[in-house]
Amino acid sequence: MNRGPSLLALPAVAVILVGSVLGVQLAAGGASYAPLHPADPCAVRDVTSRAAGIDGLTERLVLLGLDGAACRLHVSREALTLELARPGPRSDAEVAALRAGLLSAVQRMKADGTLPPASAFVDQALDSSDLNDLLKIAIRALPDSVVDAALPTDDVLTRTIDDLDLRALLANLDDQRGLDQQLEAAVTQAVQDSLAARLHDLL
Amino acid sequence: MRRAVAPLLALTVALVLADSAVVTLALPAILVHLQTSVGQVAWVLISFNLVLGLVAVPTALLYGRGQARYLSAAGIAVFAGASAWCAVAGSIDALIAARCVQAVGGALALLGCLELLVAVYGERRGVTTWITAGVVGTAVGPAAGGLLTQAFSWQAIFVVQVPCAVLAVPCALAVRAVPVHVPDRHRPAVRPNVALALLSAALTAALFLLVLLLVEGWRRSPATAALTVSVVPVAALAARPLARHLRPPDQVEVAVGCFLIAGGLVGLAILPSAELLWTIAPQALIGLGLGLAVDRLTSQAMLLRLPRVRHAGWSIGARHLGVVLGLAILTPVFTVNLYDAQVPAQEAITSLVLDAPLQPQDKVAVARALGDELTSQQGRIPDLHRAFATLDLDPAERPAAAQLERDLDAQLERAATRAFRDSFLIGAGLALLALVAVIAPRRRVTS
Repeated sequence: MNRGPSLLALPAVAVILVGSVLGVQLAAGGASYAPLHPADPCAVRDVTSRAAGIDGLTERLVLLGLDGAACRLHVSREALTLELARPGPRSDAEVAALRAGLLSAVQRMKADGTLPPASAFVDQALDSSDLNDLLKIAIRALPDSVVDAALPTDDVLTRTIDDLDLRALLANLDDQRGLDQQLEAAVTQAVQDSLAARLHDLL
Repeated sequence: MRRAVAPLLALTVALVLADSAVVTLALPAILVHLQTSVGQVAWVLISFNLVLGLVAVPTALLYGRGQARYLSAAGIAVFAGASAWCAVAGSIDALIAARCVQAVGGALALLGCLELLVAVYGERRGVTTWITAGVVGTAVGPAAGGLLTQAFSWQAIFVVQVPCAVLAVPCALAVRAVPVHVPDRHRPAVRPNVALALLSAALTAALFLLVLLLVEGWRRSPATAALTVSVVPVAALAARPLARHLRPPDQVEVAVGCFLIAGGLVGLAILPSAELLWTIAPQALIGLGLGLAVDRLTSQAMLLRLPRVRHAGWSIGARHLGVVLGLAILTPVFTVNLYDAQVPAQEAITSLVLDAPLQPQDKVAVARALGDELTSQQGRIPDLHRAFATLDLDPAERPAAAQLERDLDAQLERAATRAFRDSFLIGAGLALLALVAVIAPRRRVTS
């Protein structure tokens, strides 16, 4: 028996096919398949580091500092990082935001108890310093409690950040040796100032 | 010999129409080999379609005055010669010129083969064979081009066409077509031709942009891309049995075809991942739609309209100018979107590198290598593997670095897929416009 033309069968099949395909794709996340969206830099973020000692502390400080700076500048941490990685002069606002972000990072780490005491860095700092060997032995002989009381980590870091010429540091990002020298000078000065302040308090 | 005549003429039709998109997957290889720019290499595709679209109707006029078998034999010979010229072209200008000549020969060959197939098979079967060969050629073109490029070289695409076309020349001469000079009885079928042009523009998104996404965006080989897009011709072949089984009226079949193509293109716009498997179902919808709509629309534009060859010329013109329209609309859109995708992609990469479980000095090294790679590949989707290959990492760090590389590649795939979204949606819009052209109520003629 011959069937006549069917008006609705093919459209019905097509609607079912298209609906099924699009439905499955949407259910599998098709509408939101896009690159990772940068997180809100003002939201609290857990920051960890694979490195121990000074390197680990520096990495965590920089990551938290970037968040703080990006939050102040109303941009994402990633956009700020890309901007800072590009060659060229830095604006006053960027430098000020970065300094404020790093200082906030120190306060945050102090508040949540993740800032290690200074005694944790003594050996590593002495190994890389050019101090007299006798002086190194004498410092190593000091009890940890004395070192921690004489050099509160947050105070040293705050002084270091205040002293750092961030504009020059950002201009030298490709020069690892120059960076190290600039940081070492700032940290040494901060340690001296911190010790002087403790002595001043004692006297 | 007589048995081979009709199949070889049908093969010639498929070859000429496959040439519309056959070089799509070969464009990156041509770009490198002929040391040209992206803008110029696109003309290898555009020039053929533009010339074929423009000369189809004037060429049809020639058939009103000459012998079909001589004209088609000449057209096939010109097409074969121009294909050989394409294969040996040493510069982009020579290749584009050869493609223009190929299109002129192709137009003569296409229209001549229609007349000869009708002479061999009769009106209905001859026209149906001509249309089917064209649909198969259009659908198979990108996949065949990709496989030949991967297996041999981009020149192989043109080399294989030469013997097929050369064999078809004596076949054309062997057909004793009776020249019927028919007066111009019917006006061109506007509605089917407009719908054909819009559908061809939409199919450009499917056939041209999808292979670009696979090869450039997802970094799949031309052969993998070719195999993936072969879903379209396979599904197109399934359309006829489906239509025979459900027996819809012609207009419904065409409307459903347009709807399926639009649905498939929306599916490509909302892919949930860069897995090839996700492209299969949307491509199957597009292939089904192609099989239902394009050959039925071509039939409507030609069947029982005289002179037949003139109306075939209109349908070829509409299809190929539609392809050019699609390229003209879609290319700037996806180029701009690809450019705009750089910022979110770079931010995603930065985020992953900053949070990667690597030693700080290794993070800095990765960031430097990635920065160099991104700078050196401005305007193209970067190959991050080279950045990782140059790193001198501690063996303990390698697993984390390998995971980071995979994560970064995934972000690039996400960015590239997103960049093609608007173009696929515009393609879907063009298919829906074709649907409107098909179902819009006809104007009543009052006496």
